[in-house]
Amino acid sequence: MKMNKEATGRVHFTLMDAVRLGRGYIRRRLDRSLINIASIALGLSFYTTMVISDLLYSTSARLGGGQVAVESYQYWLVAVSLVVSIVGITNAMLIAVYERYREIGTMKCLGALDRHIVLLFLVESFYQGLVGGLVGFSFGLASAIVITGFGAGFDIVLYAPRVSLLIIFVGSVSLAMALSMVATLYPAWRASKLNPVEALRYEL
Amino acid sequence: MSYDNVIELRELQRYYKMGAETVKALDGIELEIRRGEYVSIVGPSGSGKTTLFNLVGGLDKPTNGSVFIDGVDISQLDAYELAWLRCRKIGYIFQSFNLIQVLTALENVSLPTVFAGTPHDEGLKKAEKLLDQVGLSDRINHRPTELSAGQQQRVAIARALANDPAIILADEPTGNLDLNTGMEIIDLLHGLNKMRGLTLVAATHDLKMIKASDRIVWMRDGVVERIERG
Repeated sequence: MKMNKEATGRVHFTLMDAVRLGRGYIRRRLDRSLINIASIALGLSFYTTMVISDLLYSTSARLGGGQVAVESYQYWLVAVSLVVSIVGITNAMLIAVYERYREIGTMKCLGALDRHIVLLFLVESFYQGLVGGLVGFSFGLASAIVITGFGAGFDIVLYAPRVSLLIIFVGSVSLAMALSMVATLYPAWRASKLNPVEALRYEL
Repeated sequence: MSYDNVIELRELQRYYKMGAETVKALDGIELEIRRGEYVSIVGPSGSGKTTLFNLVGGLDKPTNGSVFIDGVDISQLDAYELAWLRCRKIGYIFQSFNLIQVLTALENVSLPTVFAGTPHDEGLKKAEKLLDQVGLSDRINHRPTELSAGQQQRVAIARALANDPAIILADEPTGNLDLNTGMEIIDLLHGLNKMRGLTLVAATHDLKMIKASDRIVWMRDGVVERIERG
């Protein structure tokens, strides 16, 4: 016989659980994940291209080369491109929420709290941001070497301060993860507020 | 103390606002369901079966009246307690199965154990055992799209049992199945009801399901029209 005192308790959903489930979602819905990863990578590669170019030009100037600098308006373009990639991810994630209406409703029937749903979406966007950041940084580094190469020599990257490059690397990947998660907040919040009854009735 | 009536509905009302009109989906339901009972809820569409299902399952709040599960008025529960109730006390079975498409049968069945706080390995072991019990031990790593409708409903039944709930709520569980498959699902549910002493509440149109039940609650226009012994 079940005892009445069992009528209260706590449901669980740890970060580890969310990671396990989130990875599965990314792997098995790869097409949608790739769109988000591409969106972040594109925005970020533009950003890293600018930052690394700036570093390489100043390295070249320090070594006695010509004075070329990244114009400040170009940073304005970078900001715009990052905003565009945030909007792109938000859009893709909103569609992902619609696709998953019934699943979200089902998960709530199985005991998920609102914040568990948010956590699951954020874990997915964390991974997408990480991969998008790594890809974006690599592209950015490559294009910065090519762009500065004609003026400052293609080997200038070897003379650039390692610490600065490392800082740019860590900064870019963190930025990518932060942007990806910020872009997901609104869709995740909408998903978590779904009423299970309506979510289950929803036909795509 | 424990309660013989695992479900009690008192003056249960659920109204919806549709523009200026008020739709009385449920209009004063009084019902007790004993532990281990198999009850069929029958009525034409629009009679309030699904609304009743949602209220008993803690998925929706009544306009007036109360739902008692194990003696606890669930409209008094907060979001955390309600989630716990859905997780541990009630197993849901739907007409359209509602399996999570990206997860395998095993992962679908073990998902409720995640929310219950069962360690990962233990949850998987439990899920494997349950899938074996519903006759799907050779399909545990298949995804829903790789399973027939009857197999998907078996996975859903195994999932509903994952946290050893006291109550199984089934909303038209045979509605999307052909005659023979539907019969197999009914036998499975009936067996679980008898062997595990599970309380089974099923909204259905299916005559064979109705025949197997202990009591039949006929609904019409949001009220209980009559109650028959099975």
